[in-house]
Amino acid sequence: MNLKKSIGRERRIKDVDVNIIPVMNIFLLLIPFLLLTAAFVRLAIVEISLPTLGKKRTNQVQEKPENLVGILLSIKEKGFQLKSPGFKFKPVNKINNQYNYDKIIEQLKQIKTRHSHAEDIFIAPESEVKYDIIIKIMDRCREIGFPNVTLAG
Amino acid sequence: MDIFETNDYTFHVANATRSKRNTQITLKLTSMIDMFTILLVFLLKSYSAEGEIMSVSPDLKLPESTAQKSPQTASIVTVTEDLILMDGSEVAKVSDVMRSSVNLIPRLMNDLKRKRQLSEQVRAISTSDIGFSGKISIQADRELPYIVIKKIIYTCGQVGFNDIMLAVTKPD
Repeated sequence: MNLKKSIGRERRIKDVDVNIIPVMNIFLLLIPFLLLTAAFVRLAIVEISLPTLGKKRTNQVQEKPENLVGILLSIKEKGFQLKSPGFKFKPVNKINNQYNYDKIIEQLKQIKTRHSHAEDIFIAPESEVKYDIIIKIMDRCREIGFPNVTLAG
Repeated sequence: MDIFETNDYTFHVANATRSKRNTQITLKLTSMIDMFTILLVFLLKSYSAEGEIMSVSPDLKLPESTAQKSPQTASIVTVTEDLILMDGSEVAKVSDVMRSSVNLIPRLMNDLKRKRQLSEQVRAISTSDIGFSGKISIQADRELPYIVIKKIIYTCGQVGFNDIMLAVTKPD
């Protein structure tokens, strides 16, 4: 940052330094402030609603019964099994002990193309299935276009 | 006496022994500013204006999800690998819950009922729109089997907490 200038005859070299002290001051103030407001664990929520008895929900269902396409996705120890009226899907088994998400997405997309208005899906995991897997499959369902996930026991 | 004749961050130190000329020592602030800039960018990235509604204990590993919805205030049921806690106090052991043949977790239900009564009483005396909303957050460890989650959700449903919010972490 040395701007060397030769001034006139004198041939004197003058150092012109940019004054960075104010910049430092700003930094020193900004950094503690941002440290306080920083969130290092970013949380989100996945909403699921349970069927309620009576009142609210029944009206909604009666309004648009054509939107109801029964889609049941079972998560088992061996793999996935998708069931829906009018479709016949083969069970999607694990490969190398890993759930085959790509294959199940393919099957779900088939349902979505035929029933583009369908938004509800039932997920029925077995007792031993890990919570992580359930959240993962709920993510996939949401991405494909089934945002209303219901967990079945 | 020209030792501390400073202009900003430049010190003129008299070097008396070798020569009569003044030596200039300049603090190298450039690298420090580089560091600050990087730090600033990193902190701006993790900036959140919302503040923390939910806090999660560091040994609880929540599942990762692409969900974008931000947390809301509600009572929190925490499920670690061995304990079930309701707003921070223990209500059951995970091993007991797994072994039990019924879906209901009695102590959790009692606590939830008390919570519901309390918020209904608040609604009765207050004019504002606070009161029982039926919302509850569940923070559960990613390694837990579904049966534990199912029993907790079942218990919540029995008391009338129908809007269940599962806490997850956003991937980086």
